Amino acid sequence: MQETLATSTLSAPRRSSIFTQERFSTAGQTSSTGPQPSRSSNIPPPGESKGWNSGTKVRRMRRIIAEDPEWSLAIVPLLTELCIRHIIKNFQNNPILKQLLPEHQQKVLSHLSPELPLAVTANLIDDESYWRRCCMHRWPVCHVARHGGSWKRLFFERHLENLIKHFIPSTTDPAVLLDLLPLCRSYVRRLRVDQLLPPVQLPGPPRTGELSDSGSEGETEEPATDHYQLRDLVAGLSHLEELDLVYGVKDCGMNFEGNLFLFTYRDCHSLAATIKACHTLKIFRLTRSKVDDDKARILIRGLLDHPALEELDLSHNLIGDRGARAAAKLLSHSHLRVLNLANNQVRAPGAQSLAHALAHNTNLISLNLRLNCIEDEGGQALAHALQTNKCLTTLHLGGNELSEPTATLLSQVLSVNTTLTSINLSCNHIGLDGGKQLLEGMSDNKTLLEFDLRLSDVAQESEYLIGQVLCANREAARQRTLNPGHFMSPVIAKGPENPAQ
Amino acid sequence: MNPPGPLGVLEEKEEEHLSTPILGPSIHSDNPQERIHARRLRIAARLEARRREALGEYLDGKKESEEDQSKSYKQKEESRLKLAKLLLCGTELVTNIQVATDIREIHRRVEEQELKRQRLEKLENEVKTSQDKFDEITAKWEEGKQKRIPQDLWDMLNTQQMHCAGLIEDKNKLISELQQELKIKDDQYVKDLKKQSDDICLLLERMEEQVKHVMKTFRQELNYIEKAFEVERRDLLTSNKKKWEQALQAHNTKELEYLMNRIKKVEDYEKQLNRQRIWDWEEYNMIKIKLEQDVQVLEQQLQQMKATYQLNQEKLEYNFQVLKKRDEESTVIKSQQKRKINRLHDTLNNLRSKYAKQIKQFQEENQSLTSDYKRLVTQFKELQKSMRHFALIDDKQFREIWLMNEEEAKDLISRAFGVDRIIHTHHLGLPWTAPDFWFLRNVGPISQQPRKSATQILEEVLMQAEEEETEEAASEAESYLDLPKQISPKTTRKILMLLCDESGFLIESKLLSLLLPLEKNECYLLKLDAIFSALGIESEDDLYKLVNFFLKYRVYHSPSSQVIHPYAFLQLNPWHLSPPQEQTSLLSALEPGKQPDLEGQKEESLVEGEPEEKEAPPSSRLIHPNDVLKILEAFVMGLKKPRDSWAPVRLKYVRDNSKDSEYWEALATVIPDTTQNLWDALYTALEKYHLILTQRAKLLIENNSLEQQNTELQMLLQKYLDSKINSELQVPPTRVFRAPTK
Repeated sequence: MQETLATSTLSAPRRSSIFTQERFSTAGQTSSTGPQPSRSSNIPPPGESKGWNSGTKVRRMRRIIAEDPEWSLAIVPLLTELCIRHIIKNFQNNPILKQLLPEHQQKVLSHLSPELPLAVTANLIDDESYWRRCCMHRWPVCHVARHGGSWKRLFFERHLENLIKHFIPSTTDPAVLLDLLPLCRSYVRRLRVDQLLPPVQLPGPPRTGELSDSGSEGETEEPATDHYQLRDLVAGLSHLEELDLVYGVKDCGMNFEGNLFLFTYRDCHSLAATIKACHTLKIFRLTRSKVDDDKARILIRGLLDHPALEELDLSHNLIGDRGARAAAKLLSHSHLRVLNLANNQVRAPGAQSLAHALAHNTNLISLNLRLNCIEDEGGQALAHALQTNKCLTTLHLGGNELSEPTATLLSQVLSVNTTLTSINLSCNHIGLDGGKQLLEGMSDNKTLLEFDLRLSDVAQESEYLIGQVLCANREAARQRTLNPGHFMSPVIAKGPENPAQ
Repeated sequence: MNPPGPLGVLEEKEEEHLSTPILGPSIHSDNPQERIHARRLRIAARLEARRREALGEYLDGKKESEEDQSKSYKQKEESRLKLAKLLLCGTELVTNIQVATDIREIHRRVEEQELKRQRLEKLENEVKTSQDKFDEITAKWEEGKQKRIPQDLWDMLNTQQMHCAGLIEDKNKLISELQQELKIKDDQYVKDLKKQSDDICLLLERMEEQVKHVMKTFRQELNYIEKAFEVERRDLLTSNKKKWEQALQAHNTKELEYLMNRIKKVEDYEKQLNRQRIWDWEEYNMIKIKLEQDVQVLEQQLQQMKATYQLNQEKLEYNFQVLKKRDEESTVIKSQQKRKINRLHDTLNNLRSKYAKQIKQFQEENQSLTSDYKRLVTQFKELQKSMRHFALIDDKQFREIWLMNEEEAKDLISRAFGVDRIIHTHHLGLPWTAPDFWFLRNVGPISQQPRKSATQILEEVLMQAEEEETEEAASEAESYLDLPKQISPKTTRKILMLLCDESGFLIESKLLSLLLPLEKNECYLLKLDAIFSALGIESEDDLYKLVNFFLKYRVYHSPSSQVIHPYAFLQLNPWHLSPPQEQTSLLSALEPGKQPDLEGQKEESLVEGEPEEKEAPPSSRLIHPNDVLKILEAFVMGLKKPRDSWAPVRLKYVRDNSKDSEYWEALATVIPDTTQNLWDALYTALEKYHLILTQRAKLLIENNSLEQQNTELQMLLQKYLDSKINSELQVPPTRVFRAPTK
């Protein structure tokens, strides 16, 4: 524009130039439509070229300029705008955010690329919307609720999980993980790693599918099949609360190999040391990892008297009675609330030791012994323990070869116990009489909400009746939650006086 | 179960918080006893409430609520139950798969276990048999060592080989069996995988279905519930609207009522307020005025107090100053006094010395003076002698001068008479008579009888009494001359006798002894003389006064027979102010009736001697001898003062020259004023006449002189007219002009 003006003043008489200027300005003010500075500046060149020839052409050129309907003062971007754009462009090299005003910060964040290196963004940006964009950009499905509602946490957790999942010992540089550590240490609270790759002997792609593809047949057994040592990583994560590990390969399908699922003693020792050192850990899961008695004992020894641990999940392993005994010891030496030993090889002695620990335990809420083989002896022991226990609410004894004697004892427990809310006895051989006895026990119970007796040879009738009782109990429980004031035990009533004082 | 408990308790607690303050003891109070008590009460109340709830209040409440919101609630319950069932069924349906796999797994495990056991058994058997075989073979090796025969050995070796081959075959068979099994397992694995994937697919399918179904039913139920709610809402709306309207109406009416009440109340209050305000205002004003007055009074008092304070202060200051000054002065004075004392001591000493000196001097002087006095006495005697001599000479000279003057005056008078006669006869043409006056005949100075002293009078009186019998009438006239007319010599004599008898104490005893041999009259005379000298009565007047006094006393006291104190009498008679004549006249004015009586008495006594004698006793009786002293005292008291003033100026003899001036004046005015006036008028007329005459004379003279002048002037004019100088003095005009230029 200024160029055109300059040309006009040069070519035309001064008087007319002023005139044009005025007209120009008036036209500019009147037509305040969407401005495009580039376009208006694009138009003059032809006029300019012509302008040198004759006065008439100059006049025409002026007219063109004057009638430019798209010119506006508003097309000039604000300096702040320009600055923000510049900041966004050069954010990687020169991240400026905290010094800006809140609205400008917002603007910058909304325009930042999600692909910026984490070294720049990790500790600088707290804005959820930015991290949300990052997450959506990387993963199509994101359950932010599973990560405490924080997108940033979700991003870092999943990012770290991904890295660990695809970490191949002795191939991948451990620095990749350790470099990330200072960036994500304050955001990661949960690690859910559902595969840990073993070291690769044969040159193959790190991807599991292709890896197992090539190494399916002619593998040479080697002793060093240790997985990635989590110690350094976990020690670095200061807020880690949940650790979920699977020492195995995911989706191996037909490329199955025994050594893909080897949980070595070194792994075990290192893991035990890791979780022992991690005092913030609340939930520890180690599933499908071929943990046998010895390894379980090693791990549990590491977990004894752990200050924060609340949930231990060792399901789908090979833990036997000794491991169960170790777990029973752990029950009395920690604040464990949930213990899951599903799909192991616990038999009657292990169950008995667990029952012994359970009899006087006041922390455990949930015990899962699904798909074990505790049989009637173990079942009876547990039932005896439940007569004294006042804490356990959930008990899963599905698929444990239980039969009538356990059922009779359990029916006695049911009439006495007021804490149990859920019992699973599916896939057992309770039998018709056992079903009847359980029904008797249930008739006196007011607290049990779930009682699974599927595929346990119980008569349809008693199962239905039990279902009725459960329905009534559920209704009562619902009423209790809705109107909590009506059923108060005097013991509790005394309690809340203390805060009043 | 447990979590709801505390909440409920909290709620209940809150309720109780609301209720507890009414009960009395508060848990927030400062008193710990009270707090404990309050807590106990609260716990009791709570337990009570709980018991009531347990009895069925809760159920009642529930039923009520069910009835209250039946429609929506029912629908909700229905839907809830339905959905719960659906969910339960769905989860069961979904978990069925898991359970199925579980049971399958269990079965598999059982089978596996069985198979494993069998396999193990088989293997064990196999091991046993193979071991047996192996033992057999190894035993045979020992056997073979003993064999020496090659055939045998070969046979044995063959058999051995066969055995070994059998063994190996067995083993291979086992291996192949196992491998077969493995293959089956692999197949099984593949089958399981497939089965699992199928299961998972089924699971997913079911889940999806379930989700869809649940969603559908949920939506449906939601719709139902919404519908039910809408219906209920509508019902509620209508009913509520009705209620609302009713309530509103009621409210409106009530509001109106309240408003009216309020207005009324407001008016009342306003009135009251106004009244109160006015009352307050008045009271306030009253109080204000009162207070202001008080304030003013107090201020005034304050001012007064201040003023008095200031005054007192000033006074005190002044007093202080004065005292200071006085002190100073007193100190000064003291010092002065001291000095003075010293000085005075000095002077005293001086004076003493002077005094002594003077005493001496005075003694000397006295001596000289006494000598002087003696000399002067002698001189005085001589002077008296000469004075007597001069008096005689003076008398003589006086007579001569008098006669000379008289002669001169008479000469002048005769001349004046001659002039008067001439005037009368010549000028006025009137007849003239010579006036006749007593003084014209008088020659020599006018003589006068001298006054007599008291003793002389006494003598006379006494002598008169003696000569009474002999020459009664002759002496009467004489005595009349001597004594004042009203007092008869007899009474006087009697009074004097009485006085003489009574006041003997006034006479000296020596004199009394001397008087004894004397004659009665002489004795009286001397006595009286002594008495009079004692009383201070010297002149004739005094004697008369005394007699008069006696008489008056008698006059006052005898008729009225009253005893009046002589002082009172004195007061009635201001003796000392009035001369004797006035005194008597005053007396006569006071008692006009008495005076004639007294005179008549006197005349009678004068006319008849004998009866007078008889009358004497009553008179003497009238004046009681005892009263004499009183009368005398009073007289002395009254006489004392006038006597004091008059006593020193007392000449022995002074010629009475009062008549002289009269005489001379009469001589001077022998020509009366009328004639003098006549003379004056005559004189003035004559003078005028004279003046005219003189004027006429002057005019005559003037006329003569003028005539003379006229003639002289005529002569002079003639002379000048004839003289030559006139022509010479004439100057021509040219010369006049020339003169000023020069």
